[in-house]
Amino acid sequence: MKIHLLTFLFFISFSAVSFSQNQDQPKINGFFPGISLERFFEQVEENTPYRFYYIEQKISSITVNLQASDSKLSDLLDAVFQGTDFHYSFGADNAVFISKGKKLQVSLSDDFFSNVGNAGSGSSGQVDDAFVRNNRFIIGQSSPDKKTAILSGTISSLENQEIITGAIVFEKIDFTRTISDREGKYSIELPVGRHTIYIQNLGGYIEQRLIDLRGDGVLDMAIGESIYSLSEVVVNSGSINQISRPEMGVQTLTVSEMRKLPAILGEVDVLKGILVLPGVNTVGEASVGFNVRGGASDQNLVLFENSTLFNPSHLFGFFSAINADMIESVELMKAGIPANYGGRLSSVLQMKPKFGRTDKIGGSGGIGLLTSRLSLEGPIGEKTTFIAGGRTTYSDWVLDYLEDNADFNASRASFYDLNLNVRHKFSEKDILEFTGYYSQDQFQFDPDTVYSYQNQNYALKWTHYFNDQLEASFSAGKDKYDFQILGEDNPLNSYEFGFGLDQNFVKAEFRQEKGFRHVLKYGVHLNQITLNPGLITPYGAESIVIRDEVEQESALETSIFISDEFEINDKWFVSGGIRYNLYNYFGPQTTFVYPEGQPTTNENVIGEKTSEDGEIIKTYHGPEFRFSGRYSLNNQSSIKAGVNSMRQNMHLLSNSSVISPTDTWKLSDEFIAPQTGIQYSLGYFRNMAQNQLEFSTEVYYRSMRNLLDYRSGATIILNDDVEQDVLNTNGKAYGVEFFLKKSAGKLNGSVSYTYARSLYQTNSSEQKEQINEGTEYPSNFDQPHHAVLVMNYEVSKRFNATFSGNYSTGRPITLPVSKFVYAGSERVYYSDRNAQRVPDYFRLDFSINLEGNHKVNKLAHSSWSMGIYNVLGRSNPYSIYYTPEEGVLRGYQLSIFAEPIPFITYNFRF
Amino acid sequence: MRFKDLQFLLVVIFLFTGCREPFEPEIENVQGGVLVVEGYLDSNGLESVLSISRTAPISGTESNIPEPGALISLIADSGELYKLTELKDGKYLFQLDIPENQSYRLEILLRNGEKYFSDPIKPIITPDILDAGYIRDEEGVEVYVNTQGNEVADDFLWTYEETWIFRPVIRTPYIYRNDTKVVELRKEEEQIALCYKSETNPDLLLETSSRFEDQVVFRQTITEIPQGDERIMERYSILISQKAIDQQAVEFWETLKRNTDDIGSIFSPLPSVISGNLHLEGDDEQPVVGFVSLGVIKQTRIYIDQKDVFPWTFNDPEFDDCSISIEPIYIGSSQYFSDFGTGAVLPARELMEGTTIVAYYSSTRRCSDCTLYANRGKPDFWED
Repeated sequence: MKIHLLTFLFFISFSAVSFSQNQDQPKINGFFPGISLERFFEQVEENTPYRFYYIEQKISSITVNLQASDSKLSDLLDAVFQGTDFHYSFGADNAVFISKGKKLQVSLSDDFFSNVGNAGSGSSGQVDDAFVRNNRFIIGQSSPDKKTAILSGTISSLENQEIITGAIVFEKIDFTRTISDREGKYSIELPVGRHTIYIQNLGGYIEQRLIDLRGDGVLDMAIGESIYSLSEVVVNSGSINQISRPEMGVQTLTVSEMRKLPAILGEVDVLKGILVLPGVNTVGEASVGFNVRGGASDQNLVLFENSTLFNPSHLFGFFSAINADMIESVELMKAGIPANYGGRLSSVLQMKPKFGRTDKIGGSGGIGLLTSRLSLEGPIGEKTTFIAGGRTTYSDWVLDYLEDNADFNASRASFYDLNLNVRHKFSEKDILEFTGYYSQDQFQFDPDTVYSYQNQNYALKWTHYFNDQLEASFSAGKDKYDFQILGEDNPLNSYEFGFGLDQNFVKAEFRQEKGFRHVLKYGVHLNQITLNPGLITPYGAESIVIRDEVEQESALETSIFISDEFEINDKWFVSGGIRYNLYNYFGPQTTFVYPEGQPTTNENVIGEKTSEDGEIIKTYHGPEFRFSGRYSLNNQSSIKAGVNSMRQNMHLLSNSSVISPTDTWKLSDEFIAPQTGIQYSLGYFRNMAQNQLEFSTEVYYRSMRNLLDYRSGATIILNDDVEQDVLNTNGKAYGVEFFLKKSAGKLNGSVSYTYARSLYQTNSSEQKEQINEGTEYPSNFDQPHHAVLVMNYEVSKRFNATFSGNYSTGRPITLPVSKFVYAGSERVYYSDRNAQRVPDYFRLDFSINLEGNHKVNKLAHSSWSMGIYNVLGRSNPYSIYYTPEEGVLRGYQLSIFAEPIPFITYNFRF
Repeated sequence: MRFKDLQFLLVVIFLFTGCREPFEPEIENVQGGVLVVEGYLDSNGLESVLSISRTAPISGTESNIPEPGALISLIADSGELYKLTELKDGKYLFQLDIPENQSYRLEILLRNGEKYFSDPIKPIITPDILDAGYIRDEEGVEVYVNTQGNEVADDFLWTYEETWIFRPVIRTPYIYRNDTKVVELRKEEEQIALCYKSETNPDLLLETSSRFEDQVVFRQTITEIPQGDERIMERYSILISQKAIDQQAVEFWETLKRNTDDIGSIFSPLPSVISGNLHLEGDDEQPVVGFVSLGVIKQTRIYIDQKDVFPWTFNDPEFDDCSISIEPIYIGSSQYFSDFGTGAVLPARELMEGTTIVAYYSSTRRCSDCTLYANRGKPDFWED
């Protein structure tokens, strides 16, 4: 439709037209003898402030034939349009709109403002949506001395009225921006005047609102999510976020992004998904334990909301422990860890739970070759929502199948996990959330030995909003991790071995906005840990195994923290925090006494010391500093720098390089000090092509103290005196990471490359043993080159294909360098520790996702995900080993997924 | 308590895709090799051997390089000196009754002048094997010992040697003499139908008695012989040696065991640097592999006959094709001289015409000659 806007004419009309000004309405005089309507408008415009808006072609048939003398325009138009289908209407600034068929609505309807309010509750649907998008909202009362005003409000979803977290609200002139918080609330300070406000919704879907900002005011916005998303796809492009936030090394991956990655055996895997991020490595395919920037796998704090997961894996890591349907997003903090997190050296992996939809009861699930899952979510009454889910495996049929083909007997493996998340909204100011998780794993390789382990996590969180500036959350919870081994090899030697860890926590956290430039966070975090390091008991009446127990350990971690985010100006944004950690190790405990300054070896034991119940045996304390700053070069790029220091009071005792179920935790005691580390990082962030391309590069250097490495031949299980078997070790790690991500368009994806080193060195004061004669040696997870490519092509909204590639240097291993004969067999003599490497790792995967049709009212939405893992069938050696075979030593490389593995999973939601 | 090799899980679940391939890395060979010393010297006069060698390159064909020509002596705290006598191939014999209430040091002087010495070694008198026996079940036979530790002997190391009668599939009493071209009955020293096969087993069996009530190690499995195994085809014997060792020796043996058994599974511990209780004089950093112990070794030998474990049928598929020929080979025929002359075919059964042997049915040598696989001579200890 072409709208012709008339311009001023500077010619005087041949008709004698006079014009007299009237306060109310300009009067029109003149003679208009059979001229075209267009000509008539031109003449009127010449002499009056009226401006006409019309479609040229539509009015060409009308002629005007009349005499006007101090006539009102409305009277003249009434006469002209009499008997026709034309209508006119008067707008602001003397605009006159001519329309055919229907009178144009130019003023706000009386119920306009109630409509805005309704947009929040969504009762009137799409009409409102289109309406609010094109309407200019007048916000606040103007006052002459005010240059800027504050716009605030809540962002919610148009479809299901759930609040939207992490939406970016911005305007494009000065690029002032803000992000909606956990409760969907946003607040932005803008100059007084007219603006177009953009709301970058999840998934890059941008909404806009026109506002005329006159003073402080509230604008609640209900924005549409694309119907394709089915409200399960929550993609946080975060492109502006990445540039503007002061922290670095923080990566968010939403569950929908993970869904697009080819997964092992068709299961969306929360932890595997983060392995596409730069600086995150794994030592083996079958390990969920991951290494961040040269840190050990126990140095990652894996959090489900506020609950710590001690063993985040199922089935030795073939699946990760948390059901992806229960999670909103996963955030990995490699650096720039806020002061409210602590307790681990390398990273924080924060999984945000889902709390269920508010509109109706629904659910989702999936059926795969080895596992199935089902979840149900929805409202209970007005104020409560829930989501409950479960997952289980039936992999035994595979094992049965294998048994027919090989002589394995009675191998069994099973697991299940259950989740329940409930949110209750007492009022706008009080929200109570419950998260619960339970998992159980059990497996055996032969009929004699059964391994099992359990994770249990329960937590309650109460969030209270005092006012717009201050909010607080109080959490309390319990985390439990146990494992058992039941050996029934022989009735006389049957045993039951158990390990248990119990953690109770209380956390209070406050968030306070001070003006528009400061956000303060402060709080206190208490962690009480009880550990049963090992207990062996006879199993069965005949057993003559003697009960043996390593003494229980207990400790209390108290941390207080405060941090401030300070936006100094448009260019500078800094955040700083301090966390002070106090660690008390309690009795009762009986420990050996070693002479001062002598190594803690068995030969040096000079006595025993017994501490009373509740007595503080050892206290460690120290501050942790977290600083980061951003300097914006322009709207598209910034430079960031950060310093992070961390403390870790718990150590995972493992003689192997991956987390295995027989690894036990150890608390810092009078011989084993907390691990400490400091990381310096510097980064450059740039967005290109209208934020479609995100580029970042970061360099870092870390140094770590009091790490544990092991003496040759160390034993870990049922060891009462671990201090005799561990070596105080220093570590350092450094590297550079590059990351390029394209988040929009039919072809999207990311490519990352990391060069990183991770080196250990036995502390020179350690007298028990100096590994590799006290020189620096690569840690178990030192993989200098690591590159990941993920490409996703959306053929249509319902069909997308993903291709990914993964390359990394082989991990270091200790290989035999020579051989000898001992006790009748050929044996191997090993090189220095980690002096060799397994061959490089390289893998390509392919997967496709097929969505069912998108009729909104369908009974269930379904999708298929299928693909091939390790398309090339390359045998990536996990491990190298030598074994004597008929007296001759042979070297072997062991690969896990040495052939292309096809997979298929059917997913549905209702 | 035994923690089963977790490698199984891996193999079980991912057999259909997982894979194991030969691997030969490029490793620079270490010059010279590391000295390796092995021996448990019996303080009660039982013949015991100390062997000294050097490690060999991993990719080479030889397993170790013997170190002959060394002067070895055991020096008591009291100053008394006991010499070991050199055998061959870097082996040295010790066969002396020495007092057990002394502490000893082993000194090794190599040809190249390097002098090695051990930490002080205290002899441990190993308690007797209370009982040794076997259990027959559907899986086969399990050989066990029972023993009891005491204050000085807490940790045990068991080693064993197995010997068994080996019979060929086809027994033949005949021999073709190439010089006279005549078939005769074999003499006693020529028989090829009864052999004895011996193996020293490299398994390392360790147990700590204090884990059990009254330090009784009950039914410690020594070896498991699967149903139908060759070893009990007729008569089987196992010599079990029980050696009490100290805590440091346990660590050494466990490291050795771990380095050998567990390496390569996903859940393997890190390989350990292996050393022992020997040092190079003047250079403590120089690695030496080996742990020399002193003490009284306790041994016991048991026999298992095929009839004791009946039914026990040994059937080696390798010999499934073995049979006596259908066609006889007549004496004097050209086939007689050519076939028997090469030695690849042996006369197995005679064909009589009246009272005269006119021909022989044959069998191949690989089916009839046990000396191809074992030794003919009856071991000295063997009891029938």
